[in-house]
Amino acid sequence: MPIYFSEHEVVLPGQLLSDNGKRSGEGTYSIGGKVYAAQIGFASIKNNKVVVIPFKSAYKPSPGDRVIGIISDVKPNGFEVDLGGYLTGMIRIPDREEVVNMNLKVGDVVYVKIRESGLGGIIIDKRDRIRKIQSGLLIHIHPAKINRLIGRRGSMINMIKKLTGCEILVGKNGLIVINGPTPKHEFAAMKAIEMVENEAHTSGLTERVEKYLKELLEKG
Amino acid sequence: MEKPERLIDENGRRVDGRRFDELRPIKMEIGVLDKSDGSAYVEFGGTKVIAAVFGPREAHPRHLALPDRAILNCRYHMTSFSVEERKPLGMTRREVELSKVIREALETVTFLEEFPRASIDVYIEVIQADGGTRTTGLTAASLALADAGIPMADLIAAVAVGKVNGQLVLDLCDIEDKYGEADMPVAMAPRFNSIVLLQLNGRMTPDEFRRGLALAQKGISEIYKLQREALKKKFSSIPPTET
Repeated sequence: MPIYFSEHEVVLPGQLLSDNGKRSGEGTYSIGGKVYAAQIGFASIKNNKVVVIPFKSAYKPSPGDRVIGIISDVKPNGFEVDLGGYLTGMIRIPDREEVVNMNLKVGDVVYVKIRESGLGGIIIDKRDRIRKIQSGLLIHIHPAKINRLIGRRGSMINMIKKLTGCEILVGKNGLIVINGPTPKHEFAAMKAIEMVENEAHTSGLTERVEKYLKELLEKG
Repeated sequence: MEKPERLIDENGRRVDGRRFDELRPIKMEIGVLDKSDGSAYVEFGGTKVIAAVFGPREAHPRHLALPDRAILNCRYHMTSFSVEERKPLGMTRREVELSKVIREALETVTFLEEFPRASIDVYIEVIQADGGTRTTGLTAASLALADAGIPMADLIAAVAVGKVNGQLVLDLCDIEDKYGEADMPVAMAPRFNSIVLLQLNGRMTPDEFRRGLALAQKGISEIYKLQREALKKKFSSIPPTET
């Protein structure tokens, strides 16, 4: 398909990207058989569709995303889960007894998977185990930086976990839970995550975070 | 300021020395505030406006949230020190009206359906007013929305044309607005040649209206180009987060 952008070109809302209106993906829209950018970012072709990877964007829940939420309401037919920002998910459990047996209260922190998201609201998978998080440090970073925190095939987050000895649960919605052997280790993990959030756009970050962590843990 | 004897002299120069189809010096800066999701500062000559965008975020009050899309709130406000005359604190009726027309313009290009039950809040503060505050504000608000990553069909560029001493002129300053015969703010989403705001104070013949609109479009395409340059400049130095 004829395209009108190059690989490292910053595209802007309203910019013409391609003539094939049927192939419009995330961050784009199509009118009159042509595809235009809807956000500022880099355009590319993924799965034969034109997409724009935006520099800044709000978190949009996708089926399959693992997120961390806080129970905000207990209803006869399920639970409401606050996912941060303006987003609220629902765990629908038609059986009243099962709701009681789950033993979840308002304020409990849970690690869940999203089954659907759309006009009907955000539905959380109840078949996949809903994991209640008993303890730990709960922190929040901008959802757009989560992918950088995970790194290519988990390289960044695994390095942080290994060096600090902490268990780190990462939610795609920007919420993170850290559980470590000592407060010093948990603090180090938190500082490393903060560094990733602030410098997500730079290169060579994994090495610098590793160096920073080693220094922090040595000092005590 | 008293009314000058002539708003356009025999050489076709206006009170500030411009020709009829010249824009004032324009400055645009993106991402000037840290606490908002998106922001922009725009100057058109002596008119200085700052715009900030928050969102999508939780709608307040909750019962106003819509189930299938976000609501867009817009507040156009002039600071007390933006004008020489005494300006009442809080929102005057004019500011309420301009908040509404600016909101309606922004709603036409924003993909609100992407964020059901949320609100996108746009704040426009005029810190110095010298004519064309609503058009400068709208130009800035559109940049702030783009900076915030809110999906949009297009940017909005706006300018006011007017009639002084019988002549159509582009980008009115305050004196021309006060003592001229007509003032017509125009805003467009240039990609599809759509007009998103059009108002008129004063009198124009149908022919003057058509010529005025064409003059506005000429100014708007220059402003649109400056907007795109300002956005590219801000984001070209930052590669997006890797996956």
